[in-house]
Amino acid sequence: MSIFSKQFRDHWQLYAFIFPILLYFVIFVFYPLAQGIWMSFQKMGLLGPMGFIGQENYRIVFTDPTVIQSTISTIVIAANITIFGFALPILPAIAIHEITRITWKRLFQTIIYMPYLFSWVIIIGIWMNLLSPIGLVNSILVSIGLLDIPISFFSSPNFARTLLVAQTVWKDLGFNAVIYLAAIVSINPELYEAAEIDGASVFHKIRYIILPHIYPAMQIVFLITLVGSLRTFDSSYLMTNGLTADKITTLAMLIYERGLLEFDLGVASAAGVLLLAISILFALTASKIVGYK
Amino acid sequence: MLKSRGFLIFSYSLLGLLSIMMIVPLINVIATSFSTGLGSMQPGVIFWPDKFTFEAYEVLWRRLEYWRPLMNTIFVTSVGSIIHVFLSAIGGYVLAQSSLPGKKLIAIIILLTLTIPSQIIMVPLFVVFKQFHLLNTLTSLIVAELVSGFSILLMKTYFERIPIELKESAKIDGANTWMIFLKIYVPLTFPGLATVLLFDVVRKYNMFIEPLIFINDPLKMTLQVALKSIVLNDQVTSTNDIITPNVVSAGIVLALAPLILFYPAIQRYFITGIYSGAVKE
Repeated sequence: MSIFSKQFRDHWQLYAFIFPILLYFVIFVFYPLAQGIWMSFQKMGLLGPMGFIGQENYRIVFTDPTVIQSTISTIVIAANITIFGFALPILPAIAIHEITRITWKRLFQTIIYMPYLFSWVIIIGIWMNLLSPIGLVNSILVSIGLLDIPISFFSSPNFARTLLVAQTVWKDLGFNAVIYLAAIVSINPELYEAAEIDGASVFHKIRYIILPHIYPAMQIVFLITLVGSLRTFDSSYLMTNGLTADKITTLAMLIYERGLLEFDLGVASAAGVLLLAISILFALTASKIVGYK
Repeated sequence: MLKSRGFLIFSYSLLGLLSIMMIVPLINVIATSFSTGLGSMQPGVIFWPDKFTFEAYEVLWRRLEYWRPLMNTIFVTSVGSIIHVFLSAIGGYVLAQSSLPGKKLIAIIILLTLTIPSQIIMVPLFVVFKQFHLLNTLTSLIVAELVSGFSILLMKTYFERIPIELKESAKIDGANTWMIFLKIYVPLTFPGLATVLLFDVVRKYNMFIEPLIFINDPLKMTLQVALKSIVLNDQVTSTNDIITPNVVSAGIVLALAPLILFYPAIQRYFITGIYSGAVKE
């Protein structure tokens, strides 16, 4: 008792510092989470909960074709974003490190990093302008004779997923490249010299020096990208229309539609719990596979 | 260094190509924004406006009242980010203490918040914000990310680099916890504070899901949501004009401008922030 109170007397100011922050998290993170789980077992009416209905909401979630479709879309989109978003920035990072002229190095780094700062609304706006039927890409394709009539990329179900993945990879490329670059910079130059004496080629140096050295950075980028892409909302919201809904409505987007537009709070909450479960499951499995502690 | 001439040429070509992929869409948008409405509706490659004009910006500013969401966003971003940095610094300071009973529990609670994104809890979050009468207020957007686990942990790594002797000697001189935080820790972690500030400025400036959910009063609309209505051509504006591509582009350019302004600072602290985080791993 006396030890406890002495500890408290020594540190009460620190506890007073952290208390409001913890209170904030309890009210605006943990309480909503708990309420979401609770609502997923309730029959929810417009005026509030109308009683416990057990697994009924979950039964709907697991049988409703639109929920199943959006679960599949979420996983397919996340898998593609993760694979491309994780692998593609490696080579540009090595390339930036090779360039010794500081002006060019800075210029390339600055330009490639830029889209990471743009909001999704801006990204979609820029690409819609570029890919519209009268836009740059269609005009070029038509004028060189590759196309007879322009394609409206953003209303085509065939291009929807590819476009969403491509834009996400484009947006995050510079950010991930900087993480890889930070790891490449810390490689001891003597390793390259030793490899040269042994007659190693460029490919060998990348394969046996750079890649093993940046493996921890690769783990981090892989996990960040995976976890982030499972939550895809903004891009899905902005790109979804009647024609592309089947392809790019993600679970997060479905939760928004069901919960906040149609006010089907029970089913939306159950879908939220499903998304949380998928995120945790994938993150844990992935960290096991890549060996991240 | 790979020291290969072939690979160096490859590096320049690869990065040149990537840069073109990043720059061309931007130039296209900027050129379109200064074109006439009619010119922007012609098919073709636009790298230069057909007739240099501010027509689109006038429509945007006067008729679509684009300044209003811009001011709302600036308000939320500036007030919100300053509070965010302050609270994150306090949280990071507490977690950086070497001997604090219960510190592990506090750290676990803060780490757990990172695994619960707002996309997943948006429905109950809406209910909670309603209970607090925060719907349709700009305050809701400040409350939404008042402090974050990510920023607290980032500040913690900066505070931990400060030698403990500084704190011990200040204590002997009679400084209390608050004074030590304010007079020793805060001034010594300026790069850390700047990094957290810039991260949060960009985050709040680009905030999308929260204003979408919490606000439907047009007077309190934020920049990204207003831009969304223009880009997707939602008929929420009272005017009957068709929104032409040059107006859409002007909206994008104006939304980009503050970010470009901040860019030198962002590059300095953001990127070094990532470096120091990555090196620590």
